[in-house]
Amino acid sequence: MNLRYISNIIPSAAVALALGLSSCTGDLDVTPIDPNSYTEVAAQKLFNKCYAEFVLEGYGPGSSELDLGDAGLSVCYRLLWNANELTTDEALCGWTDKGIAEYDYNTFTPANESLYGLYWRLSFGASICNQYLKDCADYDATMTAEVHFIRALYYYFLLDNFGNPSFSENVGETPRQIQSAELFNWIVKELEDNMGGMLPPSIRKKGSANYGRADQSAAWMLLTRLYLNAEKYTGTPQWDKAKQYAEKVIKESGRSIWMGDNATTHTSSNGKWSAYQMLFMADNDTSGAFDESIFAFITDGASTASWGASTFLFAASWDNNMVAEYSQKTNQAWGGNRTRVDLVEKFISTSALEALDNWETATIVAAAGDDRALLYGDNAKGDKFDDNGNRKYDDNGKPLGLKDRLYTNDDLATFTHGLATTKYTSQRSDGGSVSNTTHNDNDIILMRLAEAYLAYAEAEARAAGSNTTLTEGTRLINVLRTRANNSDQHTTYTLREILDERARELYFEGVRRTDLIRYGYYGNSSYTWQWKGGVQEGGKFGAYRNIFPIPQTEIATNSNLKQNPGY
Amino acid sequence: MMKQVNIQVPLRMLGLILGLFLSVGAFAQIDVKGHVKDATGEDVIGATVRVVGTQTATVTDFDGNFVIKANQGADISVSFVGYQTVTVKAAPTLEITLQDDAALLKEVVVIGYGVARKSDLTGSVTAIKPDEKNHGVITNAQDMMQGKIAGVNVTTGSGAPGTGATIRIRGGSSFNDSGNDPLIVIDGLAMDNQGVKGLSNPLSMVNPADIESFTVLKDASATAIYGSRGSNGVIIITTKKGRKNQAAKVSYNGNVSASVIKKYADVLDGNQYRELVQQLYGTDSGRYALLGNDNTDWQKQIYRTALSHDHNITVAGGLANMPYRLSVGFTDQQGIVETSDFKRLTTSVTMNPSYLEDHLKFNINGKFMYARTRYANTGAIGNAVSFDPTQSVFSDDPKYKQFGGYWQWTQNAPYGDSAWPYSKIALAQANPRSQLMSDYNRANSFDYQGNVEVDYQIHGFEDLRVHMNFSGDWANGTQKEDMQPWGPDNFYYGYYSKENESKYNLNYTAYLQYYKDFLKTQHFDIMGGYEWRHEKWWKDKNEYGLFPETSSTPNAKYNEQSEERKSEHYLVSFYGRANYIAFDRYMLTATLRADGSSRFGKGNKWGYFPSAAFGWKINEEKFLKNVKILSELKLRLGWGKTGQQEGIGDYNYIAQYQQPTSTQALYPTAGDGYQYIPLGYNEDLKWETTTTYNAGLDFGFLNNRITGSFDVYHRKTTDMLMSAPVAAMSNFGNRITKNIGSMKNTGFEVSLTVRPIQTEDVQWEISGNATYNKNEVAELAGDGQPIEYGDVGLGTGNYALAHQEGKPMGSFWVYQQVYGEDGKPLQGVVVDRDGNGVIDINDRYFYKSSIAPWLFGFSNRIQYKAWDFGFGLRASIGNYVFNQRKMGQRSLEYIGTGTGYMSNTIPSAYEVNYKNGDKIYDALTDYFVENASFLKCDNITVGYTFKTRDDGLNGRVYASATNVFTITKYKGMDPEVSGGIDNAIYPRPLTLLLGLNLNF
Repeated sequence: MNLRYISNIIPSAAVALALGLSSCTGDLDVTPIDPNSYTEVAAQKLFNKCYAEFVLEGYGPGSSELDLGDAGLSVCYRLLWNANELTTDEALCGWTDKGIAEYDYNTFTPANESLYGLYWRLSFGASICNQYLKDCADYDATMTAEVHFIRALYYYFLLDNFGNPSFSENVGETPRQIQSAELFNWIVKELEDNMGGMLPPSIRKKGSANYGRADQSAAWMLLTRLYLNAEKYTGTPQWDKAKQYAEKVIKESGRSIWMGDNATTHTSSNGKWSAYQMLFMADNDTSGAFDESIFAFITDGASTASWGASTFLFAASWDNNMVAEYSQKTNQAWGGNRTRVDLVEKFISTSALEALDNWETATIVAAAGDDRALLYGDNAKGDKFDDNGNRKYDDNGKPLGLKDRLYTNDDLATFTHGLATTKYTSQRSDGGSVSNTTHNDNDIILMRLAEAYLAYAEAEARAAGSNTTLTEGTRLINVLRTRANNSDQHTTYTLREILDERARELYFEGVRRTDLIRYGYYGNSSYTWQWKGGVQEGGKFGAYRNIFPIPQTEIATNSNLKQNPGY
Repeated sequence: MMKQVNIQVPLRMLGLILGLFLSVGAFAQIDVKGHVKDATGEDVIGATVRVVGTQTATVTDFDGNFVIKANQGADISVSFVGYQTVTVKAAPTLEITLQDDAALLKEVVVIGYGVARKSDLTGSVTAIKPDEKNHGVITNAQDMMQGKIAGVNVTTGSGAPGTGATIRIRGGSSFNDSGNDPLIVIDGLAMDNQGVKGLSNPLSMVNPADIESFTVLKDASATAIYGSRGSNGVIIITTKKGRKNQAAKVSYNGNVSASVIKKYADVLDGNQYRELVQQLYGTDSGRYALLGNDNTDWQKQIYRTALSHDHNITVAGGLANMPYRLSVGFTDQQGIVETSDFKRLTTSVTMNPSYLEDHLKFNINGKFMYARTRYANTGAIGNAVSFDPTQSVFSDDPKYKQFGGYWQWTQNAPYGDSAWPYSKIALAQANPRSQLMSDYNRANSFDYQGNVEVDYQIHGFEDLRVHMNFSGDWANGTQKEDMQPWGPDNFYYGYYSKENESKYNLNYTAYLQYYKDFLKTQHFDIMGGYEWRHEKWWKDKNEYGLFPETSSTPNAKYNEQSEERKSEHYLVSFYGRANYIAFDRYMLTATLRADGSSRFGKGNKWGYFPSAAFGWKINEEKFLKNVKILSELKLRLGWGKTGQQEGIGDYNYIAQYQQPTSTQALYPTAGDGYQYIPLGYNEDLKWETTTTYNAGLDFGFLNNRITGSFDVYHRKTTDMLMSAPVAAMSNFGNRITKNIGSMKNTGFEVSLTVRPIQTEDVQWEISGNATYNKNEVAELAGDGQPIEYGDVGLGTGNYALAHQEGKPMGSFWVYQQVYGEDGKPLQGVVVDRDGNGVIDINDRYFYKSSIAPWLFGFSNRIQYKAWDFGFGLRASIGNYVFNQRKMGQRSLEYIGTGTGYMSNTIPSAYEVNYKNGDKIYDALTDYFVENASFLKCDNITVGYTFKTRDDGLNGRVYASATNVFTITKYKGMDPEVSGGIDNAIYPRPLTLLLGLNLNF
């Protein structure tokens, strides 16, 4: 028995094992090795994120950083658009996507997933700004001022949509609930304190320095919106302030209403692109139309693309028939968003519409006498074949040559029940090629000078206690009508006419819900539209719906929150 | 850090091994070395070898070998349950053959970190040897387990060649799929569930022909030794080995087979379709004008009779003390959907040398696999059902020239390229044949796996042994896809992608084990060990389209995207087990494992997983000893805690930014335009824990002609790792992984084997098993909202399934359909369950579950002289399926909802016959949830065994049919649906096979 060997082996084995242990437990302390992961901040990249949250999914088209269901459907801009257009007299959509029908019928509940998505996207945007202000405030004074503006913009949308949302200026703490008036004051103060540090007002088209960045005029325009709607937020109207900031935008922003460029030969089915149409085309970030943009979200099919921004605005309002008629540069046509008859009637009476030979856009524009009537029914001229000799069919599979589309919205699920709009198009005004055949290049002009004109006209009248526009207000509206080649120019406009003018000028641009509420035409109002409140001929719903409910998931996860009254 | 460790591990081993070699030849020659086998030549593992009249005893090892000290000429007895005890005179080398006592074999089973006699087990453990005679097509080890083991549910994903299966042991404990996968251990190496391209699951890398045995550890007293990875059960696979001092034996095993689709989906043919369009819209309609003049059966255009063959050659033997086994296997399997196939080459080498009078033993395994998978474009499967049957496959019309001559639904193209005036309508179905033919999608995968196991029984202190295993797995897969620009899926630009993925696992474990028998009747053993594991993967991907020659930028890349990813994690563990056996009747087992994981932050890295179990061989008690009818009766009671950490990220507790790789995700306001996305994280993340109680009874009657076991269990999972909502602004993700929620599984399992006839000429064996598992979600995250999932194509955000408190996991959450007097469903009429007068999402209710509570397996094998006949049946009772295909075609009008294109429908649409509508409750109702209970005949086999010479060539020829028949009430294609939603899966074929075994 050679015990001496054993007495060597066992201790040495034990020592060998023990040595391994202490070093290997150290392996448990890891840092991410993924080449795309970073534990240190990079100010410029986080700065980009502050903006990007409005229009991008996160990791590219179809790939979201948040878990909000379908990535494309849960892009902030798209959620905002749906909540503020589908709930009004302008638009509806027949898709079965969760939450959409509740918007169409104004029956949204705290369980609505679209509202949860919207609440989160906006809050998340504000959180990212909080993070930037915590870690990168010293990086660049202009950028810091700008992030204050972007955060105020997220909070503005939270205020306008949810009234009394979560509020935090810090990172990682459970937010408190802020009341509408307090939030209004906070946003105003944030803007007024920081706007001086932002970029000076200037038109910055694609390709020029600081393209895409908000300048001081964006803050002024946001203040215009806030003051114009101050009564809703605080109970006290502030028309003077609204007028003052609208005037500042008009006079000091350096922007101008795009009146069209007769020197350029534009091609389209009707031979020429109107100035108004050019605001919504794929080259709106390089053409003269950008002169009117106060603040726009960057979109580019090749580099800044998502299923919930520009591509959505375009594709959701087109179907294959429309593409066959007005050849497009991108291949998406989903047949979703269309007009309610109430919007159509802002341009043309239904009897006049019925008298038309066909409902092509050019025909309707001509009949309405307004370039902004970018509506589409179908081609009833008997043009059964396209340029290549292929038979053309409408949405119901019927051959063209029959006027088959309805201007009313009898069946929500059928895209041809209701006129479509060709306002957003994938074509370029210069006829050039686009960067991607799936995603659109069109920038989304969130705030443009025309809105300041309309805001000024309204604020001026209301500040003066007048039911009609004053001289300057009238002039401004007539400028917009002139641009639209609308010869029906008045010497005064009533407040109600201003609201209708806003519909004509700004439809499908995401401001309608706010406008109707300001006029008292939304909750508990006899102003009605087709399917309002879920009733085809138009019903009513409670005034509590002037703000959306706090999503139930938020109520459940944040004990500081109380549900908005009525829900 | 990592580098250092990689070197340290082998160094540590080297030290040990060197130490061991130093002791060579330093010991006396008084040992008896022997090998124990059974009548069939199989090693008998765990046989008790005793020097008669002394206390000296040992147990045969893994290879049937033993070493025992004895005086020359002493009597040595070898006994083992199920065999007659043999007594021989001691000699330096002994070769002992045990004769069957009854037909009961396989009495020693491999357990976690060791082996054990089955009779001594206190946990719920099922060991099976692959049934080498009674089986159908086997390309993956999962096929050998299907229906064979109580409590184990194996569901293959589809009929595509090389597809993996979902394996669930006793239900699941988690809501994320990978968190429910059992741990698979192959020759001591725990596999990860992280597949690489072309490898469907860890089992796909083992050649089924190399598998010696499966052991399934089901309860916590058996799995707790695997600690954090034991919650979902453990499947231990050991591969075959050679035998000492044996001449080389060569065997060949091969087969050829043909597979056909069992059942085509029922669709309208061209004429019926034309009639329907005419009836709905009239012959003057635009829709009618869209129709073609053909009558194409699109399913016939994509399916084929698939031919496959499979060959395995094995050489096994032993060069003195160096047993070896070499095997080469080759599989070439065609899929029944054209273009799909799977080829695999496997080789494995095993050597088990032993030294120092068998005190020092090595077990060296090396496996290599190469697989090449060609994937069919499975979009063609759905489109073959829905494509307009009046259209032709090809068209001479110049319009289709850019489509490769394939007919498609077309529209004006957006490309601005005059050579490409048309494109496919994006929302229209694609010509299924063109989809297959334009897509070349293949993966090449390599896998190298190896381990070196060292077992040293310490000289002079034979009660103590050291066991070490150093193992590793390295895999690489490259998937390339070329989609032609003429193909419908990526028309004009085409699509070219290459994805390369690699991973490795390194595992090192060592334990010390001490055995002690004392007072004649008492046995004690204890072991303790340490394990270190590192898993790492990395991948990159590049994809792009190309501008055609005719474009203004010929051959330029279109929308190129590249991505690189990398991750890793470590697991460091300590484990131990103690057994105490008294009077060969009372058994106590206790285990403890401490696991440290790099997936959790400070303070939460370590999880502790204990278990305890008690076994009582009741039939050994005096009062039963004389009951002849009873050959075995054992009670087992066990308790334990196990953990789970799969299905979460490696770094979920660390605050970090991600930079998107997509070039379409830039926001160019500053710098290079890239964004940093702050990620949600949870610093408090910790282990998920499952507590299991198990009671079991093993029994044998009539000299073990009837054997079986019964187990009843209760499992409760707490601190479940779940994605849970968090308050806006409090974190950078709306849902983060949290330890929240709990789940219960309660059930029982019975397995029974009966051997009605056991004579020289006739052997008949029937075995069956039944499983009942009741799953209940006990507690969910925060907001009380069910977790919805299961997209059924009803717009985004509408799901058919949900997990909800108090309901079984995977319940359907649907509206309750109202039926008319004729028994037909009324469209859009559902029960207002909350009675508020409005139909909204709150009117949904929980109806049935997608997961079967009852599972049954049955196999029958009869051998008459040289002939054998067997079959296997499997049943699943109480599982429901949402028939998405039927729901999707609930209105005949859906054939024409698109603009400018048409689609086919199925005959059930006439039956449902809804109008086109927008109500979600037309579709999301219990009417479409169907009972999918089924009984399947997995295989029928007939074989003939022949022997040309007594010592030479022998073998077996056999024929079998796989997936023979299905009995079900379910109206869809196949009731066996993983996940509860039936939508166009790759059909499981019927396969006829001819096979040959030859042993030289």
